[in-house]
Amino acid sequence: MKHCLRACFAGALLTAAVVDVASAQTGTVKLGQIEAQTGPNAIYGYMSSQGVPIAVDEINKAGGFKVGDTTYKLDLIALDTRGDPKEATIQIKKLLEQDKAKFVFGPFLSNVFVTIFPYAKQFNGKFLMLGGGTRIHEFVGQPGNEFVIRSWNWDAGPRGFGERMVDYLIKTAHPKKVAMLFQNDSGGKILGDIYEPIFKARGIETMTEYFEPGTKDFSPVLAKIGEFRPDYLFPGYSDAALYDIVRQSIEGNYSKKFFLVRGSTGPGLKNKDGIEDYIVYVPKDFEEAEKSDPKVKHFVDAYKAFYKRDFPYDQAPLCSSSCYDHVYMLVAAMQKAGSVDDVEKIRKTLLSMTYEGMWKISFDDHSEQVFNFDIVHLRKGGVKEVSHVEP
Amino acid sequence: MTQVVVGQILNGIILGSLYGIIALGVTMTFGITGIVNFALGQFMMIGAYATWYFTDLVMLPFPVSVVFAVAIAAVAGLVADQALFRFTRNNLVNGLLVSIGLISVMESAALLLFTTTPKNMDVVIAGSWSLGAITLPRMKVVAFLLLVAVIGLTWLGLSRAWLGRATRAYAQNPEAAMLMGVPTKALQTGVVVYSCALAGFGGALYASLFSLEPSLGALFILKGVEGAILAGVGNLLGALAGGAILGVTESVGSLYLPTSFRDAYGLVFLVAILLFRPAGLFGGRK
Amino acid sequence: MKSLLLLLIPLYVLPLVVHSDVVLTILIFTFLLGILAVGFNIVFGGAGQLTMFHAAAFGIGSYVTFLSMLRFGIPFWLGYCVAVVIVVLVSIVIGWICFKFRLKEFYFAVVTLAFAELCRLVALNWTSVTNGTLGMLVLEKPTIWLPGSGIVRIEQTTSWYFLSLVALSAILVFSVLLMRSWIGRNFSAIRLNEDLAQTLGIDTFRYKLLAFTISNVIASFAGALYGFYTGYIEPAYLAVTQSLDAIAMVLLGGVSTIMGPVVGALVLTSLPHLIELPAEMRVAVYGMILILVILLMPRGVVGLFRRPRHAA
Repeated sequence: MKHCLRACFAGALLTAAVVDVASAQTGTVKLGQIEAQTGPNAIYGYMSSQGVPIAVDEINKAGGFKVGDTTYKLDLIALDTRGDPKEATIQIKKLLEQDKAKFVFGPFLSNVFVTIFPYAKQFNGKFLMLGGGTRIHEFVGQPGNEFVIRSWNWDAGPRGFGERMVDYLIKTAHPKKVAMLFQNDSGGKILGDIYEPIFKARGIETMTEYFEPGTKDFSPVLAKIGEFRPDYLFPGYSDAALYDIVRQSIEGNYSKKFFLVRGSTGPGLKNKDGIEDYIVYVPKDFEEAEKSDPKVKHFVDAYKAFYKRDFPYDQAPLCSSSCYDHVYMLVAAMQKAGSVDDVEKIRKTLLSMTYEGMWKISFDDHSEQVFNFDIVHLRKGGVKEVSHVEP
Repeated sequence: MTQVVVGQILNGIILGSLYGIIALGVTMTFGITGIVNFALGQFMMIGAYATWYFTDLVMLPFPVSVVFAVAIAAVAGLVADQALFRFTRNNLVNGLLVSIGLISVMESAALLLFTTTPKNMDVVIAGSWSLGAITLPRMKVVAFLLLVAVIGLTWLGLSRAWLGRATRAYAQNPEAAMLMGVPTKALQTGVVVYSCALAGFGGALYASLFSLEPSLGALFILKGVEGAILAGVGNLLGALAGGAILGVTESVGSLYLPTSFRDAYGLVFLVAILLFRPAGLFGGRK
Repeated sequence: MKSLLLLLIPLYVLPLVVHSDVVLTILIFTFLLGILAVGFNIVFGGAGQLTMFHAAAFGIGSYVTFLSMLRFGIPFWLGYCVAVVIVVLVSIVIGWICFKFRLKEFYFAVVTLAFAELCRLVALNWTSVTNGTLGMLVLEKPTIWLPGSGIVRIEQTTSWYFLSLVALSAILVFSVLLMRSWIGRNFSAIRLNEDLAQTLGIDTFRYKLLAFTISNVIASFAGALYGFYTGYIEPAYLAVTQSLDAIAMVLLGGVSTIMGPVVGALVLTSLPHLIELPAEMRVAVYGMILILVILLMPRGVVGLFRRPRHAA
């Protein structure tokens, strides 16, 4: 009896010790994501919503990450806005009030961001939002908006990639006239506002035309541009329109030289025998990087294993925003700050650190991301030349 | 500058033939089954994707792919007719609403199969013909000729062949036609299938010229309906003319006025025509 | 009227029991879109005219109310009055064009669609006024005078809940009274057999115009509230898809019934949140619902619960 009692007591102590150890040393960090995974604008949420689960899965499979004495796992709550601001309103409420997430990735879509901003602002100081949307630029870095961080770099400004792109263009081609052709929506209008002054400051004459989203036949507007006789055509911004614009511009003899800051190398490669010049900004030329950078190769392989499908080389560059790298960066920030809930401390740490993943990511004093990128220069026949730029 | 305008008029006519073939489908369906098949744009989309699939993925020669694409569009039309349109004959509102429902279903299927990422078919006929400052891509001209040929043959078939005359008889007086032994049910189904095949053919040619997205149907059906109304619903050759007028208005309008208003020009023109000639430009007889 | 009260009273009491912000938000959207659907039902289920203009009226309601507030510094309700004036004028012009020329059903739908598209293109391109595709951020809120509290800004979810519920109740009561009055009976006559109605001495032109105008005014009311609730107004509010959404709600719920549009709005607004579907599937489900309703349940959900009555 005594023997049994002693054994039971020892067993109870041991169990208590184990249980105590177990509960004291694990935890969960909730990571919310609010992107358009499906719907007409899915391309702007697609890659980030694909990259984040891979990172979360990797981290959790490796046992989680340690901050202090506790090992944490990540709990990803990925919601699909379908590009609809109304859906997003309901979803952000869910993330902040029900799930009490302290970190939210997204949105990339400007109209979604603008709609959820007033509500999200009420939670300033209680969570962080990392999104790549163009219009986030207007709000970021201002007092009262500390919760917003923009995970894409800005075209203009001293470290703007747009300025670097134009510099490159001038250096290689010395154009005198550039015609811009943008989609008649938020993204397109902002591009016009950004680039007209940039070109003007360098003495290049410009002309800007807008086309209706969904246009397939660009003949009339290209004819107008043709009259201007530009040296380069600068179309933006989604591949959907770019393929048609490039092809029709070549077929109709309006312009065979192209300069792009949004979109992929796809349209240029497809028309490689017709183009004379095709200069495009890509956050990373994945085809090339895969061969030389082990981190990129690892990501591509992980993607294929996780989703069991081909790697979308064209859209992968979007991963430079609120995606795979950013999960790891956030975790590193939490570890460095020594906390998973002191939002302000983590924010300061995040904004002051430099992370080297597939990209070298850091933030400027406006809480806007600065990262390295590639300029892909295609010539007639498909000859490719890639330059790496670090702003 | 005049060369640019002439170029755009030509471009408008070519684009218009694409609108025209859809307009033809709309007009035939309305005349015989009494409803407007808004989903015709989706059959065009089926034809386009099928053509792309067979030419680029299965590596068949373009003309063969076109034949397959048209066949697939026709079969889809048959299924839609038997499952849905058969129950909404002559009920305009219901037919409209059912076709809208069908559009959602078909567009989602395309999205699931192909995603929003646009597909671009490899070029079939490269190069352009130039006349002075006017440059026209060869494929566009070829597509135009093919479309006109098909529309013309349809018209001929309807005016000479027995089946064609039976169809017109039915359109004019359904009861009399039935009494004369015209198989009305089969005729109605036949017309729906044929108009879907026409749309599929238009889609096949579309694929050789432009990039493909699941939403391409929406734009073309609107233009097709506008073209049909413009010409006078029920008038067959008029459908081609209606489409052409619409295409030209858009292209030339875009030259002088903001391009972003492109869709508006056709609409304004349409409303104006309807006010002065409610039966359409050539309307009045079926 | 009894069934109306039966359904509305629990909704008023709901916030005392349910505190979930998410549920209340979904209901707010339901009420606002329900107003749009009820408006559409008056001209379609009542007078039998298929219009595609209600989304444009919805959008005009948002834009004009907000712009008036901005330009003239007037409160929400006065801004909305300006919107009403504009919508009535536009409806009369368009309605006159359509009905005077005796455009039949199909043409009416297409012409209203054309005008709606034109309005959308104007909103999209008149950038100096509407900020075009960038849309406008609405930081203003409607204000209400309440006994005891004075002037209150409607900002919190619960405030919006009650505001939209009261608005919906008012519109529902209005539509019941309208359809039961001699005006409503004339609408029904036109819907059932326009030519016969004409021979009976009913001025179909005038009544169709009236139905069209009333429907658009109600749609603009929904739009004004909706724009201020979401805090963001964009040209997509005037798109065809918005019109089609309303049509689907009415069909699903039950055409020509009073509560039908609200039931339809409830189902279609909450469905995406009950079943997490990717956007593509959701659109397909939408389409299937439309098809099934037309073929199998032409009287809608509410129709299932009622025995066929002599048309009223």
